[in-house]
Amino acid sequence: MEAASFNEVDLQEQTLEVDRTDRRVELLLGALASTILLLIAGMIIFVFVKALPSFTHNGLAWFGSGGSVDDQLMNIFNSPAEPENYVYHLRAWPLLYATILITGVAVLISVVFSVLSGIFIVEFAPERLRKTIEPVVKLLAAVPSVIYGLIGILVVVPFVAEHLISEGRKESVAYVIQLDGTSILVGVFILTIMICPIMIAIIVDALRAVPDKWVEGAAALGVNRWRAMRTVSLRAIRPAIVAALVLATARALGEAIMLSMVAGSVGFAPNPLDGFTFFLEPARPLASTIVDNAEGLSVAPFGQTMYAFAAILLISSAFLSFAGWAARKSFSRYTLGAR
Amino acid sequence: MELTEDHPQDGSAPAAVVPPLRRIVVESETVPIRVGDYAGPPDPNYGRDPWQVGTGTEGEPVWVEERMRTEDLSIAYGDNRAVKDVSIEVNSGEVLALIGPSGCGKTTLLRSLNRLVELTPAAKRTGRIILDNQSVDDFDVTQLRSRVGMLFQQPNPFPMSIFDNVAYGLRERGSKKPRRKILEPVVVDALERAGLWDEVSSNLNHPALALSGGQQQRLCIARSLAVSPEVLLLDEPCSALDPISTSIIEETIVELKSEVAIVIVTHNLQQAARIADRVAFMYLGDLVEQGAAGQVFGAPREERTQDYVGGGFG
Repeated sequence: MEAASFNEVDLQEQTLEVDRTDRRVELLLGALASTILLLIAGMIIFVFVKALPSFTHNGLAWFGSGGSVDDQLMNIFNSPAEPENYVYHLRAWPLLYATILITGVAVLISVVFSVLSGIFIVEFAPERLRKTIEPVVKLLAAVPSVIYGLIGILVVVPFVAEHLISEGRKESVAYVIQLDGTSILVGVFILTIMICPIMIAIIVDALRAVPDKWVEGAAALGVNRWRAMRTVSLRAIRPAIVAALVLATARALGEAIMLSMVAGSVGFAPNPLDGFTFFLEPARPLASTIVDNAEGLSVAPFGQTMYAFAAILLISSAFLSFAGWAARKSFSRYTLGAR
Repeated sequence: MELTEDHPQDGSAPAAVVPPLRRIVVESETVPIRVGDYAGPPDPNYGRDPWQVGTGTEGEPVWVEERMRTEDLSIAYGDNRAVKDVSIEVNSGEVLALIGPSGCGKTTLLRSLNRLVELTPAAKRTGRIILDNQSVDDFDVTQLRSRVGMLFQQPNPFPMSIFDNVAYGLRERGSKKPRRKILEPVVVDALERAGLWDEVSSNLNHPALALSGGQQQRLCIARSLAVSPEVLLLDEPCSALDPISTSIIEETIVELKSEVAIVIVTHNLQQAARIADRVAFMYLGDLVEQGAAGQVFGAPREERTQDYVGGGFG
């Protein structure tokens, strides 16, 4: 090769050529990403602006309890037509409480269940069983929630009403609430079934990506499979567990239709002091409240109240993502890029 | 220098031929003709006598004591016999190198010594493996593997801090986890013996995976040493490392052999010549020949060994 062909001009021209293509792609992708960011930001601002009247009228008491939330919503819906007479009075605690309770319990149960089943599928299940379970789990993760709701209301709710709710139990709380089988128990149960497949799928993939050499190294130190799983593999996949947790919680938070079908759809705060009856009491989380009241959105103050619920859900999921990011970051400290 | 046959019952003296490899062997400082410690009179608990492997500088006999041995050991994966009727001893105070072409069963043999081969489905074993005069099947696997440590081809530190890596075996040994204060001296000692202490003493809490490959491998040595093994199995420990890291690991191995019996599987004949005291050549599952490193490389008895160490195949 001749040295002359390597003179500076040639080289520069070539580099520029490549750079121009790269630059175009960069700009295009950047524009796409920015559009998405703008859309999200616009949506958040829009929701918050719309929600503002509900928050400003109630102040911090918005988050408190007091009176029947369903009656308050009814009053808001029946507001006079003049804007200066709009009713905004709302104490949303029962709805927030129901959201936290149902989501929290369902996610807690599922994370334990999913981690254990993930370990079983990856490490202990016989090949044939594994080959059946895995596709089924992935299929379950994609089932529309309304189907779960339908099965819940047609099968589980009647079962609970028949076998767990005695006349005596009904009477014991008859002065506040009616027990008809739709309850936080059924809500949590079906929500758990709904979010488990997502978590299992993520955890199974993560466990499978744990390098064999780590497990082998633990085995060579005399640690049995279960213990190696717990001390090495589970530790290594903590970031993935957090990711699964965030996804599942987000789905649970946003779950509206199924819960409004099986959890009773009553703005009631179940009382843990009621003992076992507590689990049989109905409740309604924020997302279900929005869905159930969709037809009243044309009434301005009512619509704004619904926007307020939406804002709370948005904040929660933003907080969730942030917490998940922070947790993943701290858990990844020792994993580095090894997986 | 005088080579003494390592198989006393064999009796045949090493031939006087001097093939090219012998030069490397003789010039290497660390290689055979051990000027080891006199192992003392036979230990009644051992059953077998220590045997003389050479003569020290003052003409005194040099003995080694048997740590492990296999008796007619065969390992099969399904119908495929990977190791065929192998009987071999592992002695304290020496490095035993298993050499042979790929697929000759040397890694399988190595992994059978701590029963790690049992993790492979369909692996079957006949014959006995004895550790300190007791069948390895009589040991609890946990106990066996803390007495017979192992190092792998790829450095495999866990995704934890350096300290936690070394302390791992100690923590997992009992049901009660010892506190850091109790673990610390053991961890420091293990790191020192593995020759890593000077490099990591100030950052024990850093992630182990941030170390270089050679450091990671020495960390794995420290992790094995922390549970005070009697035998250390090394499965091509340097194959993923650069020459400098390799020579550091080799030094570490040679330093360790006085306290731990070492078995090393290697593809690298020069490496075997540099660090091994005794070499066993395997081919297609058979133990073709074993003997002092100088003898196997310098004057192999078997034609197949001759071909392999002479570069004829492999």
